Amino acid sequence: MSNVAGKAYGMNVITPLRWWTAVWQKIAFSVAEHFPVKLKGLITLSLIHYARWTIISRNSFPRLEKSQPKETLNYSYMLFESNFNGSWDQYIDSFSFAIPTGLDFFWAWNIKYPKSIPLHDFYHYIRFNQVECDHYYNAYPLASANDVKSARSLFHNLTQFNAETHDLSDEDFAVAWKKLLVSNQHALGSMGEGPAMSTSRELVLDHRCTNHKISQQRQQQEA
Amino acid sequence: MNRPLDLYDIQGNICKGYGRFGFPKARYFFLEFHDSGFAREFIGKLLPLITTAETWPAEGLAGKPRSTTNIAFTYEGLKALGLPQRSLDGFPQEFKMGMKPRAAILGDDGPSAPEHWDPVWQGDRVHAWVSVNGQAKEFVEQRFSEVESLINQSHGGVSIRPGHRGPDGNLLAWQDASAVYENGKPTPKEHFGYTDGIGNPYFEGCGNNPQRLAGRGKLTKEGKWAPLATGEFILGHVDEAKEYPLAPEPHLLARNGTYMVYRKLHENVQSFNDYIDNLARDFDGSRDMLMAKLSGRWPDNGAPLTLAANDAEKAELDARMGQLKAKADDGDACAAGQLQALQARWIDFTYEQDKDGARCPVGAHIRRANTRASLETTKEAFNSPSALDDRRRLLRRGLPYGGEHGAATDESEQGIIFMCLGASLERQFEFVQQQWMNYSNDFKLGNDRDALIGANNGQLTDKHIVQADPQGDKAPFFCTHLPRLVETRGGDYFFIPSITALDMMAQGIVDPT
Repeated sequence: MSNVAGKAYGMNVITPLRWWTAVWQKIAFSVAEHFPVKLKGLITLSLIHYARWTIISRNSFPRLEKSQPKETLNYSYMLFESNFNGSWDQYIDSFSFAIPTGLDFFWAWNIKYPKSIPLHDFYHYIRFNQVECDHYYNAYPLASANDVKSARSLFHNLTQFNAETHDLSDEDFAVAWKKLLVSNQHALGSMGEGPAMSTSRELVLDHRCTNHKISQQRQQQEA
Repeated sequence: MNRPLDLYDIQGNICKGYGRFGFPKARYFFLEFHDSGFAREFIGKLLPLITTAETWPAEGLAGKPRSTTNIAFTYEGLKALGLPQRSLDGFPQEFKMGMKPRAAILGDDGPSAPEHWDPVWQGDRVHAWVSVNGQAKEFVEQRFSEVESLINQSHGGVSIRPGHRGPDGNLLAWQDASAVYENGKPTPKEHFGYTDGIGNPYFEGCGNNPQRLAGRGKLTKEGKWAPLATGEFILGHVDEAKEYPLAPEPHLLARNGTYMVYRKLHENVQSFNDYIDNLARDFDGSRDMLMAKLSGRWPDNGAPLTLAANDAEKAELDARMGQLKAKADDGDACAAGQLQALQARWIDFTYEQDKDGARCPVGAHIRRANTRASLETTKEAFNSPSALDDRRRLLRRGLPYGGEHGAATDESEQGIIFMCLGASLERQFEFVQQQWMNYSNDFKLGNDRDALIGANNGQLTDKHIVQADPQGDKAPFFCTHLPRLVETRGGDYFFIPSITALDMMAQGIVDPT
């Protein structure tokens, strides 16, 4: 169980809000949806892959099957899901430093939301309401969202270049090649393992390594 | 608002760097406490020698001491002094752990791994750091003898922990540091040949001239420079998140104190020279220009690439500086003013006009270390342009060491004693070191590392890209196979208490109840 997979961190936060203020919250979301300029800050934070807010009203909590008894809930809930590159602190810090007003707008009606500044009250609020991932999978553990975006654009441009430059003279090819490099100079970062997210995470990786070695030794002995 | 702080309660070298005030020589030594009672008595006796942050005239000797003395403690040191557990518990986790267990975060691997550090750092017996800075070496030695005699009077309660690798492989009881001298004069150079230590942050109450604010503070929404919050650098004061930094109890133990990173960074001068010489053959520009494209500043005078991006622009800048200087020397007040305005641009700049890095490469050292609002890639996206930088700033207070004994090689002893201060080791130093020096996701450059201090290993993908002008006809230049130019040789995290806290510690009256 971990919230970390490769360079990515998966975060789920579920927070209560009064059913009648959920309506206001929905209006706030609809404003953001219709005026994407409101999301400019969020989009500029390039460490985020994805963020989604969902209102689950108190009567519509999912049940796995009909036999599961219905719960009587006092509150509606807001589910926040996000995937990002970097550590928990880095993510929450970036939110709080860069777009505190936007955050306060999105969480405005949530019970006991402390506002995103001061930082530590906000830290505690998120930690308290965070639901850990049971299972978190990453198909490209060595890539961050920025790496994927760069790689996709580079692949596209390189393929096109390849198709267009077959018949060029050496001189023309050299010019075209320079152009290709310049126009892709921001998509040429090296790829590799992400930085250590925390000393605890490093410990887990270390333990996994040890476990693997032990099981290999056991297999050898048994063989 | 620029509310003055109680500079007599804050230790020296925090609000202003000694380097700027004519203290080119320093000796750092580390203490081990064997008996808490005698160690506390020693601190009490040392207290009158401790230099505070009181203001001195910027020039001249009046009111300025010949030497300074400061002290700071590791977590183990505070424990050895007998601080109550509840006070100890209040320190942040990274400080309690110390630097060695944070190696994975700091990129201290391979030749920089803690097992290769100087013997003084082996084990966890470094309890305190004492620093003596002096206007000349003799003053450093005088003050050192005074402190040494206090240690000798401590009935074995305190000893100097030896084990600093010196020239010729000898182990020394202290670490001497010195500005690099050229023609008998101290310079702001380090051993690779760069001009270093330009552009430290400006914070509220620091006592520095407000004229120094531009380029050193934070950028407001209106595009103006404002002082950073005091609490970014000094405990017990409100920080940029409008709260008090995490600090131990009681309040007086932390207030006016701060944290310090001490790192002995060895510079592989031969590898650096070989690498640059080799690369310069293929580079369209001078050797100095290539060096500037790695660091972001011209090596000879520290001019930023934003001001002069290539050899031709640099020659023009130098000529203009020369003319203005000559006129100013002849008493032309107008030229003196123009010269001052031009020199202010060494610090007062952003990358607003250089988003592609065609002038200063996106991965250049100074652009990584102090991003100057460049992470706000869409205009007005954040609450303020420098929102992602303001809480990652470092007060740098280091000095070079070694290099006095003939031609420098990788084996000879030379480098930088890197010291930086801030209210959060994790949020400031560790973040910058890990995310901005040894990684590049924030700059959209994948896993590329800083060319100068990054944990590079000479592989093809250990590279730095010198971006080209998208409108020009030149290709970007690739500095590949970057070797490990800087190796960590030791260090730890320290707490620099206020004068009040030192006094409380000496008396043994720290009480969080």
